[in-house]
Amino acid sequence: MGLEKVRRIDSTRIEIPVDYKQGMRVNGIIYVDEALEKDLEIQAIDQVANVATLPGIVGSSMAMPDVHTGYGFSIGGVAAFDLKDGIVSPGGVGYDINCGVRLLRSNLRKDDVAAKIKDLVSVLFNEIPSGVGSKGKVRLGPDDQKRILKKGAQWAVEQGFGESGDLEKIESGGCIEGADPSLISNKAYERGRSQQGTLGSGNHFLEVQYVDEIYDEKAANSLGLFRDQITVMIHTGSRGFGHQVCTDFLEVMERAANKYKIELPDKELACAPFESPEAQDYLAAMRAAANYAWANRQCIMHWSRETFMKVLGLSPRELGMSLIYDVAHNIAKVETHEVNGRKTKLIVHRKGATRAFPPGHPELPEIYRPIGQPVLIPGDMGRASFVLLGTEKAMEETFGSTCHGAGRIMSRHQAIKRAKGRKIWREMEDKGIIVRSAGRETLAEEMSEAYKDVSNVVDVVHRAGISTKVARLRPIGVIKG
Amino acid sequence: MTPFKILDISGDVGLTAYGNTKEEAFINAATGMYSLITDPDPVFEKKVIHISVENQSPDGLLVSWLNELVFHFDAYGFIGKKIGVEHFSDSKITARISGEEFNPDRHEGNLLIKAATYHKLRIEKKDNQWEIDVIFDI
Repeated sequence: MGLEKVRRIDSTRIEIPVDYKQGMRVNGIIYVDEALEKDLEIQAIDQVANVATLPGIVGSSMAMPDVHTGYGFSIGGVAAFDLKDGIVSPGGVGYDINCGVRLLRSNLRKDDVAAKIKDLVSVLFNEIPSGVGSKGKVRLGPDDQKRILKKGAQWAVEQGFGESGDLEKIESGGCIEGADPSLISNKAYERGRSQQGTLGSGNHFLEVQYVDEIYDEKAANSLGLFRDQITVMIHTGSRGFGHQVCTDFLEVMERAANKYKIELPDKELACAPFESPEAQDYLAAMRAAANYAWANRQCIMHWSRETFMKVLGLSPRELGMSLIYDVAHNIAKVETHEVNGRKTKLIVHRKGATRAFPPGHPELPEIYRPIGQPVLIPGDMGRASFVLLGTEKAMEETFGSTCHGAGRIMSRHQAIKRAKGRKIWREMEDKGIIVRSAGRETLAEEMSEAYKDVSNVVDVVHRAGISTKVARLRPIGVIKG
Repeated sequence: MTPFKILDISGDVGLTAYGNTKEEAFINAATGMYSLITDPDPVFEKKVIHISVENQSPDGLLVSWLNELVFHFDAYGFIGKKIGVEHFSDSKITARISGEEFNPDRHEGNLLIKAATYHKLRIEKKDNQWEIDVIFDI
């Protein structure tokens, strides 16, 4: 192993060669420019190399510019495995299965809400449960949960939370097939019972934003975005339910790795051959958790929309709040990609990485087929978030994947220390951003300085051509857990 | 002896827990974890839960132990104050934990811990003292 072996391929990529570490089957590629490379942790490089040792890996073990050290797999990691010789690993998906982002448009302009933003944030904060110990407004019996696990966002629509037209604007239609509720532990059901329709905590958020910059007028137009328009972004996942599924299956996979004699450089890389019952069971449980998350974001969207109507006294038509898109950034999916000129089915793991399919891809809804898949990249609460589009180059280079966010540069502890004696909410208010949070130290942990500047991350994927910038969104109201 | 201290790690949060015995270090890891979720002072002993976990590996036993407590908090809001271990071996722990249900009016929410992980996990005897490093996913 030697860091000196890591070399720069071009202005946006570095390579970890196969001889960096013993056992690597393919090379590693990290999308970073020279500036972001300075923040790159050695441990994250090592994790990208570790993933390259797993059986059946295809192409390269990759990481996006928001890469940082995770458990087993790095955050920002993308790895695809052959269905015959490859593996499935819960560590390649992460604890928060189908953590993801949803973006809503509206007919409103920034000026239309300026006078009411404080009320709006307050009511949103009350209406959308968040933080430690919060409970959802929907009480679920075991049968309800099973329906959620099978139907995803469609379940929420059937409950009156949103419209059927929303579904096509969600990755996988808001419901990934092959979920099996019978594989879910009682513990996961217990944790999931009161957490549907809750935001959670940590870096999860709901933001009221406005479009402050458009890079691609035509694409923005197709997405229904215009300058100064109010948008809402929701970032959350499958809550305690998904975590329990991951926890349960890490144990199963640890035993499986022994059983199938897979050598692991790190316990959190525990995995099983794709065709094994353990891997198939995990995938069926993971899909159930993914559907739980899509229902969750659908519920939260619905209550956000209702809150806007109530606080601003607008009809649905006047408000015009509708879904632009919803992406998963912690998930494993069977997808068809071209490998050595042949179309091949692979199991693509994205952990802190977003799917970025190109124009014309059959999995995209008809309305977005001409422009490509919308990619939603949340930033920290004080700076900006971005809308991008998937590209053909992403298909060729990264199994149709791109970055997922800003990525931390400061530990939570460091951030809290840095924020000591400061009033973060006041600093934010001075910048024109109203924030509310449930947790005592959330705002300190989540302050802008604790994160890389998402603009730099997005610039790298844009320059690398694995997705292209459409618009930048600035927050004016933030709800944190 | 300090029962535990917070371990600084980018992204998530961890603990180093100490104990004169392994059992004591396991208990301190648990009380340390509770203190990350909320300030333990206003938590009262109003309710008792019984926990039993088994795992063949020492690392696995610690992760299962802490994840069992995470489960009781995340599913039922139970936050422990006092931990009484009834049985402690290399592969099994049973314990009686007294505490109460988290009440946002009286308890301050701090970190929402969602899992104990194997990441950089360390259980070690050093100079007659046990030390545990554990990182939590939050």
